[in-house]
Amino acid sequence: MNIPVEWSVAGPAVIVAIGALVALLVDAFYPRRTWLGSGLPSSVALLWGGIELIRLRDDIVPSTFALSLIVLAGTLIVVVASNVMNFENAMPPGEYHFLVLAAASGALMMVAARDLVTLIVALELLSLPSIALVGLRQGDSRAIRSAWTFFLASVVSTAITLMGVSLLYGVAGTLDYDGLAAGLRDTEMPDGVVAVAVVLTIVGLLFKLGAVPFHVWIPDTYLGAPVMVAGFLSSVSKAASLGAVLTLLSAALPHTYDTWQPLMAIIAAATMTVGNLGALRQTNAVGMLAWSSVAQAGFLIAPAAALLTTDGLSAPVQYLAVYALANLVAFAALAVVLRLRGSLDYSELKGLARTDPPTGVPLVMAALTLAGFPPAVIGLVTKYVVIRPVIEGDHVWLAVVMAVNVMLGLAYYLRFVAVLVDRPAIDDPYRSPSPPVSIRISKAAVLIGTAGLVALSAWPDLLLSNLP
Amino acid sequence: MIAAALTIPFVVGLALLFLRTLVSGRTAAWLGAVAMAASLVLFALVWEGKDAISGEVDVEWIDLLGARLHLGATAISWPFLLMTAFIGVLCCVWLIADDTAPALVGLVLIISASSLGVFASLDFLLFFVFFELALIPMWFVIAWWGSSSVEPSAEGDRGGGLKNVPGPDPRLAARSAATRFLLFTVTGSALLLVGIVLVARDNDSLQLTEIRGGPLAAAVLIVLGFAVKTPLVPLHTWLPDAHSKAPTVGSVLLAAVFLKLGTYGLIIASSVLPEGFADVAPYVAGAGVVGIVWSALACYAQDDLKRLIAYSSIGHMGFVALAISTMSPIGIAAAVFGSVAHGVITGLLFFLSGSLKDRFGTASMRAIGRGLYARTPWLAVAFVFAAVASLGLPGLAGFWGELLSLRAAYEVGEVLDKPFAWTAVGFAVLGVALTTAYFVRAIRLLAQGEPVAQDADRDLTVRETVVAVALVASIVVLGLAPGLIVGLYDFSAVTYSGTYTPVAP
Repeated sequence: MNIPVEWSVAGPAVIVAIGALVALLVDAFYPRRTWLGSGLPSSVALLWGGIELIRLRDDIVPSTFALSLIVLAGTLIVVVASNVMNFENAMPPGEYHFLVLAAASGALMMVAARDLVTLIVALELLSLPSIALVGLRQGDSRAIRSAWTFFLASVVSTAITLMGVSLLYGVAGTLDYDGLAAGLRDTEMPDGVVAVAVVLTIVGLLFKLGAVPFHVWIPDTYLGAPVMVAGFLSSVSKAASLGAVLTLLSAALPHTYDTWQPLMAIIAAATMTVGNLGALRQTNAVGMLAWSSVAQAGFLIAPAAALLTTDGLSAPVQYLAVYALANLVAFAALAVVLRLRGSLDYSELKGLARTDPPTGVPLVMAALTLAGFPPAVIGLVTKYVVIRPVIEGDHVWLAVVMAVNVMLGLAYYLRFVAVLVDRPAIDDPYRSPSPPVSIRISKAAVLIGTAGLVALSAWPDLLLSNLP
Repeated sequence: MIAAALTIPFVVGLALLFLRTLVSGRTAAWLGAVAMAASLVLFALVWEGKDAISGEVDVEWIDLLGARLHLGATAISWPFLLMTAFIGVLCCVWLIADDTAPALVGLVLIISASSLGVFASLDFLLFFVFFELALIPMWFVIAWWGSSSVEPSAEGDRGGGLKNVPGPDPRLAARSAATRFLLFTVTGSALLLVGIVLVARDNDSLQLTEIRGGPLAAAVLIVLGFAVKTPLVPLHTWLPDAHSKAPTVGSVLLAAVFLKLGTYGLIIASSVLPEGFADVAPYVAGAGVVGIVWSALACYAQDDLKRLIAYSSIGHMGFVALAISTMSPIGIAAAVFGSVAHGVITGLLFFLSGSLKDRFGTASMRAIGRGLYARTPWLAVAFVFAAVASLGLPGLAGFWGELLSLRAAYEVGEVLDKPFAWTAVGFAVLGVALTTAYFVRAIRLLAQGEPVAQDADRDLTVRETVVAVALVASIVVLGLAPGLIVGLYDFSAVTYSGTYTPVAP
């Protein structure tokens, strides 16, 4: 087995991995365990990785470039916004940054993977640190339980994917995506085996993506994890899984289109519907975002039902970029609110946009973006972008299901928005004398993200013509 | 110029929302009235004649999707634009009072500006963005300032809830009405979005001036989307609650402007998707006629004046839908005229019922009592005038919309069967009679009879008089000179783009 390694593909991932080690070492040798000590090298590594990625842009497949950029930018927001956990004794900063960056480097490899072994290794590199992150807060039994749920879901999904991969290897005799595509074109292949292999491989990845019926672990994990880790899972980890699924389908399995296309269409429809129905019942902001991220996964994979070429990747990737940014803004703002108020129930968030505009207004903007509703024009435009390939693939029924789900989604996003802009309770319990410095850094991350959403809403072309 | 006409109310509206603590309600309303008046004047000045696209603005927006910032006024959209800006001015004038919340004025401006944006858009995606933009502000207007007519929060409480701390119960009712309105409309508009994508794929363009034709599925989805907004029976169930629970300006905007987004959309659909629309036109006509009769019957059962007016709107929109479904030039003229006339007449009716609700704390006709002629003479006269205009008295604006609509259906046009169209005319005429009957009932219950004076009896205040006089004058002008609008359409050749292509039956 010969796996060529090219710097243009592995460079950013390697830089981020080095950053992870530096963050861990700084924390080990620096006498005072402060957050910035490991946070700074992490941010620098992510920025450097981004610069390297942009420098190498011409050598990289466009969709991989876009996905890598989303992963790097998303992780950077997570790292900066995680400052809110500064001085929280139960969170060890060195380990935290090491795990986040290790997972990010796995995510980078995952979207760049062009053979199945790399895919599996990258998948594990993303999953294992993520599991540790979920349960990292010391003495938090809820977090440990969530980490267990996540661990079991992860192991099962990897096992299923491995089974599919081994079957594919058995059928095609190669693990390389191009080789697989060439091998599976052969009509002599035993249809049944190929179908089972393809379905198993996809199912494992869909598990990671949290698509129905493999979504049950998501709400439990997000609710137990530290808020920024939930943000990481819902954006960066989801971006990597989606990128892996789409690349695999379009690059390695285009000739088994008839097998996976109806499957993806049905799963997309079920995922968005179940996710939205689940979100309708939530009265906790993280619970709502967890279920909404299940629903959004449905919108993300819907274009796959019509996807045949690598060009077809642009619609879900553009949608993903906006979804990830909005979700990270929301989670970062919630992390700040949690630090200040200790709860994320709707009753606690009432009137937040009036009492604390720097966190409340970004939450409103993020919710409207996710709902796809003006004034968050970019959310609406990306909804249009994902519906377009579905229509072009002549799946009008799926487009109609998506339309109905836009309505379902609005029902709970609007409820959230209404809570945020409501008149606050008369005796607002929160009166902070002077917010700690770390919260200002996190708030800055939130505001920069919001500024991004506003800029994209004013000028959607900024995203659509720059991400392929 | 069009860009300025849209931007001014948007900017002032946003400023009022963010600076709501710095200005008094009275100042805010004055500012709003001035902004809307500026917009109205600009839209009036932009006109370049019926054959041109007036004040066209065409700037790149989203290259990848072919969406452009493409604005302009056409012979079809111009009357809608003027009517919307006019109603916007009057809503702000209405709000010139001490207990007005500045944020409400801001929302009214944003809703008006978004609706103006819908009418001014020549790009389908931009149209859709404006279409959606007005919804959430409207949700807040209904949910926060709306009230339940069953249980008024306090006597003399303006609009039922303009005070800072409204009672809990009416708010819940208003909130569920607002949510139902929003979810219905959003379902419709999501289907509309799918339709737009289908149309854009077939035409490889999003410009309304370039789109010609599309698959039947697109026509069905788009018509469904607009039918919720219009509303056509049986998709109207959100309307009575939303209209009656909303505060006065909310009801006025819903009836005078929001329903027009639906009818204007149907007119667009009939001209950009002629083949597809021809296939669904009989259903549109059927739903319209059922709406005329059904809503007239429903009006008999109403005690709440605002609900009565809300149901009567469904009937008027039925006439408009019938006119559009003929797809003939006279039908389009009837639809535009009917829409604008309904805007000013129902606007006046809702303003006046708002006056009554302000005084008596309820819109229940029995609670308000009889003999308003003696108790509040000018208010009663204005109300009777509006009711008579609404039932279609010749010489007033309501008459021409109905007459032209019946004539369009009688002449059948090219898409409906003759027996079907004539049956529709028969039922519509029955609807006219029923409409007369229920308005006469309302007049009898309120204006006539033995007066029983109440403490709250007060005649029109200055701002109410200004609004009423402006609307009465416009109703009379449109009634005496229908050519102002009808003259925009050459009965032999008119479609959206100005060139008429005959449609195969």
